[in-house]
Amino acid sequence: MADTVIIETADLRKHYDGVEAVRGLSLQVPAGSIYGFLGKNGAGKTTTIKLLLGMARPTSGRAHVFGLAADEDRASVDIRRRTGFVSDDKDLYDYMTVAEMIRFTAAFFPRWRADLEQRYLRAFALPLDRKIKALSRGMRTKLALLLALCRGAELLILDEPTAGLDPAMTEEVLQALVAHVAAEEMTVFFSSHQIAEVDQIADRVAIIDRGRAVLTGSLDDLRESYRRIQLVFDGDAPEPAFRAPGVVRVRRKGRVLTVLSSAGAERILDEARALNPVSVDVVPVTLKEIFLETVTVED
Amino acid sequence: MLFRPNPSSGVPIYLQLMEQVKHGIETGALRPGEQLPGIRPLAEELVINPNTVAKAYRELEHEGVIELRHGAGAFVSGQAREKKLTDRLRAGQTIVAAAVERLHARGVTDEEIRRLFEAELAGLSRSGGERG
Amino acid sequence: MLWYKSWLETRWRFVIGLVLLMLSACGTVLSYPQVVKLLPLAPTVQASGEIGRRVIEAMELARTYRGFVWSEWFRQNMLQTWGLFAVLLGTGGLLSQASGGGALFTLSLPATRSRLLGVRAATGLAELLVLAFVPSLLLPALSPIVGQTYGIGDALVHGACVFIAGSVFFSLAFLLSTVFSGVWPPLLIAICVAAVLRLFDVVLRDLSRYSVFGVMSGETYFRGGGLPWLGLVASAAASAAMLYSAVLNIARRDF
Repeated sequence: MADTVIIETADLRKHYDGVEAVRGLSLQVPAGSIYGFLGKNGAGKTTTIKLLLGMARPTSGRAHVFGLAADEDRASVDIRRRTGFVSDDKDLYDYMTVAEMIRFTAAFFPRWRADLEQRYLRAFALPLDRKIKALSRGMRTKLALLLALCRGAELLILDEPTAGLDPAMTEEVLQALVAHVAAEEMTVFFSSHQIAEVDQIADRVAIIDRGRAVLTGSLDDLRESYRRIQLVFDGDAPEPAFRAPGVVRVRRKGRVLTVLSSAGAERILDEARALNPVSVDVVPVTLKEIFLETVTVED
Repeated sequence: MLFRPNPSSGVPIYLQLMEQVKHGIETGALRPGEQLPGIRPLAEELVINPNTVAKAYRELEHEGVIELRHGAGAFVSGQAREKKLTDRLRAGQTIVAAAVERLHARGVTDEEIRRLFEAELAGLSRSGGERG
Repeated sequence: MLWYKSWLETRWRFVIGLVLLMLSACGTVLSYPQVVKLLPLAPTVQASGEIGRRVIEAMELARTYRGFVWSEWFRQNMLQTWGLFAVLLGTGGLLSQASGGGALFTLSLPATRSRLLGVRAATGLAELLVLAFVPSLLLPALSPIVGQTYGIGDALVHGACVFIAGSVFFSLAFLLSTVFSGVWPPLLIAICVAAVLRLFDVVLRDLSRYSVFGVMSGETYFRGGGLPWLGLVASAAASAAMLYSAVLNIARRDF
C-alpha cells in the first residue's frame, strides 16, 4: 500500500485572469498517508484542490488522482466517486435540513456507510431537523466532515478543515480524522495554514508558496535533518561562506551567527568550529520555523 | 497512560513516544509482558497519526524493547531484555544525576543543561542521529 | 436526489405562480358577466390612439365568450404572468450559488455538469408545463358558473402554445444564468428582452401574430387559421439551442 501514489501532480499550472495561482506544482501523495499542504493565504492551496477535483482546468501540466487524469470529464467523475471533499467555506445547501442534506448526499454513493453516519451524528451532536442556515460554523464544519467521511471514500481532500473553529472543536475534528484513518484504509490530503495541526497529525508535508512547492517530504525526516546552529563569538560574528551543503540561511546579528541547516549538520558544525566560536548550540527546528524560513516574506 | 507528545517541539513524535515507553519500562510503570495500547486506540486518544504510533512500535520492536504479536497486539518484552535495558539505563541515570548536580552547583540552569546535552549529542552523532 | 434538490430550490416560485395563475383564471371567468354589462357602451368609448384601438378591439372580441377568454386570458393575463414565471424559474443554478450556496459541494459530487444542468432545466420546464395547463384547464371547468362553456380542446391547444413558444423565455433566463453570477442580472436582462419584443408587437401590429407573443397566444389558431406550426417549431428549436449553449458554458467554466 505504501508504494501506491494516490495524488500526483507534475508541473501543474493554473492561470486565472492574468493571475498565476499555481506555477509548476509537483507533488506526490502516497497511499495511506496524512498529507499536510501548508501555505499562506493565497499561495495556491485552494486552486490546487479545485484542479484535483475537476472544478477548474489546469492551464498546463498534469494532475492524477488514483492514476486517473483529473482534467478528463469521465475520469473526474470517477475520482469524485471515491473522494470525500470539504471546501474551505464549508458551504452546503442553506435551505435543506441536516437530515435532508445527509439523504441527498448518500444517494450519490452506493458505498455509503450508515454505521459511520450514526456514529458521527451522535459524536458531533448534529440536530437532524435543523436547517443548515441555522447551524453555527462549527456545526456546519462537522456536518461537512460527516458527509465526507461516510461516503466510503478512499481519499479525503479537506481545504482548511479547522478554520474558524475553537480549540476544543479543532481537537474534535482532528480526533475524528485520526480515528477514521486508523480504522479505514484512507489517504488524507488537507490544506492548512495552521502549522500546529499539521505538526500533530500529518506524516508528510508540502509547503507551497506562490503556486510552487518549495518543500516536500516526510515530516519526521524534516524534524530529524533540520537543525539550528547558534554560534556566539568573542567579537563581531564573521561572514562565513559555508561549503558544506544544506545551509538554508545564515543570519548575523552582533556577536551571534545563526545557521539554519536542512541536512548534514555535522559537516557544517565542523566548518563552524573552525571559526572559533565561544559557544556552539545545536537545537531542533520546529515546522513553524522551517515554514517561516522557506516562505517569502511579503513586502 | 501515555502522555500527549509535543508535536511542535521539532522532535519527531514517534521518538517522543518511544522515549515514553522506555521511560515507563525503566520506572516500572510498564512491566514485562504487559500489553501496550493498540495502535488505533492510542492514536485516537493522543490525536496523532496512526502511522506515527505504528512507526514507534516498529522501532521499539527493532530494539527489542517490545514484542509485536500478530493479531494480539504490542507487549513489553520479557524479563531478560528488560533487565538489561533497565540496568543500562539505571547506570546512565546515575551518571546523569551526578552530572546535573555538579552543573547545578556551578550555577548552570536546567535549560542550559538541556542545551549542552543537545549540542553534545548533535555534535557526536552522525547525520542520521543515534537513537536509543 | 438532484430532482429533489431542484424542486426544493424552485417550489416557492412554482407554487406562487400556480396560485396566481389559478386565481387569475378564476377572476377572468367570473368577471365575464360584468364585461357583458359594459358591452353596449362600446361605441361611446372615446380613447384615441393605440390604447383606444385596443380597448375597442377587446370589446369587439368580448362579444363572444371564446373571444373574451382569448383576449383577456391567453393574450394578456396568462401570457404576462406565465412569461414572468418562466423567467423566474430559469434563473438560479451553480453561478448564483457560487458565493454561499454550496456550488463547490455540488461540483464535488460524482455527477457530470451536463447532468446537473439537465436536471435543473427539466425541473423548470416540467413546472412550467403544469403552470401552462392547470390554470388553463380551470377555464372549461369554471365556465359553467357564469353560464358559458369553454372547450377543453381550446384550453389544451392554447396551453401548449404558451408552453412551447414561451419556453424561449425560460431558456433565455437559463442561458443568462450560466453567464452572469448572481440572481438579478439574468432576470433583468430577460425581462428587458421580453419588453423589447413586446414593443415590436405593438409597432408592427399586422405581423404580431407571428411574433413570439403571437405564437404564445395561439392567435392564428384562435382566428381559425390552424396551429402556428412554424412558430412553435422555431421556438422549440431556439429553446433547445439556448439550453445547449448553457450546458456548453458550464462545461468549460472554471470555478
